Amino acid sequence: MSGGHRVFRASEVPLGSSRIVDIDGRSIGVFHLPTGFYALLNRCPHRGAPLCLGDVTGLVTAERPQEFGLERKGEIVRCPWHGWEFDITTGRSVFNPHKVRTRTYPVTTEPASAEVPENAGATGINAEGVESFPTTVEDDWVVVHLGRTAPTRAAAGAASSAG
Amino acid sequence: MITGRAAADGSPTQFKVFDTDVHHGPWRTESLFPYLSEVHADRLEHYGFGGGGVSWAYNGGSQGYRTDIITDRGKKNYPGVVVPDPEVCRKELLDEAGVDIALLVGGGGEGIATAGPDVAYTNALLRAFNDYSVAEWLTVDDRFRLAIAVNPQDPQNAADEIDRLGGHDQVISIILPCGSQRPYGHPFYKPLHEACVRNNLAITLHFGAEGSGVNPQPSAAGYPTSYVQSRLLRPAFYKPHLASFVFDGVFEEFPTLKVGMIETGIAWAPSFLWLMDQNWKALRPQVPWVKRPPSEYVRENVKFCSQPLDDPEPKDGMAKTLEWLDGEHTVMFSSDYPHFDWDEPQETFKTMPDEFRRRLLWDNAAELYGVA
Repeated sequence: MSGGHRVFRASEVPLGSSRIVDIDGRSIGVFHLPTGFYALLNRCPHRGAPLCLGDVTGLVTAERPQEFGLERKGEIVRCPWHGWEFDITTGRSVFNPHKVRTRTYPVTTEPASAEVPENAGATGINAEGVESFPTTVEDDWVVVHLGRTAPTRAAAGAASSAG
Repeated sequence: MITGRAAADGSPTQFKVFDTDVHHGPWRTESLFPYLSEVHADRLEHYGFGGGGVSWAYNGGSQGYRTDIITDRGKKNYPGVVVPDPEVCRKELLDEAGVDIALLVGGGGEGIATAGPDVAYTNALLRAFNDYSVAEWLTVDDRFRLAIAVNPQDPQNAADEIDRLGGHDQVISIILPCGSQRPYGHPFYKPLHEACVRNNLAITLHFGAEGSGVNPQPSAAGYPTSYVQSRLLRPAFYKPHLASFVFDGVFEEFPTLKVGMIETGIAWAPSFLWLMDQNWKALRPQVPWVKRPPSEYVRENVKFCSQPLDDPEPKDGMAKTLEWLDGEHTVMFSSDYPHFDWDEPQETFKTMPDEFRRRLLWDNAAELYGVA
């Protein structure tokens, strides 16, 4: 897969875990969710903290005051410094999805024929942007693609099954 | 000496008596003047005797008043600092100072009453004050509007009072003092919130009753020693209520509820909005019902008041403050009449452009209180 960086064996990032990797001087967090692998630049757009070392949690919600709910378990990372929350699957800020976004990168796990999961990043950046990268898995390697264009598509299931 | 039962020989028993609790004192404070040093006699005359809550223990001017209009202060025994005569108010404020609509908020005695431990008595006093205000003020001039006094210690009674008077054309708000047992966004007050929404009345918040009666100390550091320090505490009187309305989700649950915060000044407010937004970003999961940045709720549901208008040292300080606060949409005029530090509308925001000044002097209040 051209443009891709083989960063980990898929088995080295078990489901529900994450790892940090340095690619060309960029620190990038690779997260393994049930829906696939996701890669975010390990830098919070707020004050530059190592975002991907933050707690991974769900999205705390409320239908009305004083009633708590928890959704999307494992899909939110909270910055270790000031608690800003980001959606791991898109890089978007929870509190301001339209203006603050970490950059995400498409991630795939690629057997020889596997491609980018549909839900992988490729969301672009904004003014405060932190990048996300496409990933694939090639021969059980998790591959992070630093280019802006994701490789050819494939079912997300192929990616998650690699974990 | 009292006489007891007769002794065996028939002679009465005599007892000496020591009474350890007899209350005495002068009828008027002037009786103490000859015994005070000159400076403290002067302070007693102008400053009051002290005691009570922090906002009312002492005051500025002469016992809080503009001495040019209130000349018979010595005769009054009603608590608070008030203009007692609607005709005087009409002449001074409406006809001469150029005020077109005046929101009557009471004088502080009612605020102190809300801190009284006898809840039923407070309910009765506030109901009486509201009836007095409707009968003896609203009938005098249709430019008067009323914020009715309600008892935050008894939210259901407050709701009943709001339902009782909320339909009156000139009743446009309730008034609550900042001194309280819990901040006003607390779910404890839900009946009060609902009643205001039901009757389309705003909540007006004015400092007062901090440290009075059942209320907690006026600051986390305890009592300040002087009135001037109590004035410096005022932002801290309003902040917990503002934060509570936002973070307890009141505006999310009741999007039409409006809160007017009066006698606030404004320079403290922009930084507090920044602080609320910053902390919401960091701690949103603790209050997931707060869907938007706190400052957005404030801009839609809350307004601050001009008086006592800040005097920033930098020349562009006021313009900057108004810009940061979006003052064009969040700041209302208030005079504080007849208190010593009132602001005359003619002299307020004089340097601002006309369109801006129009919003501050009229539009913002008209929008918040729903006055056409």
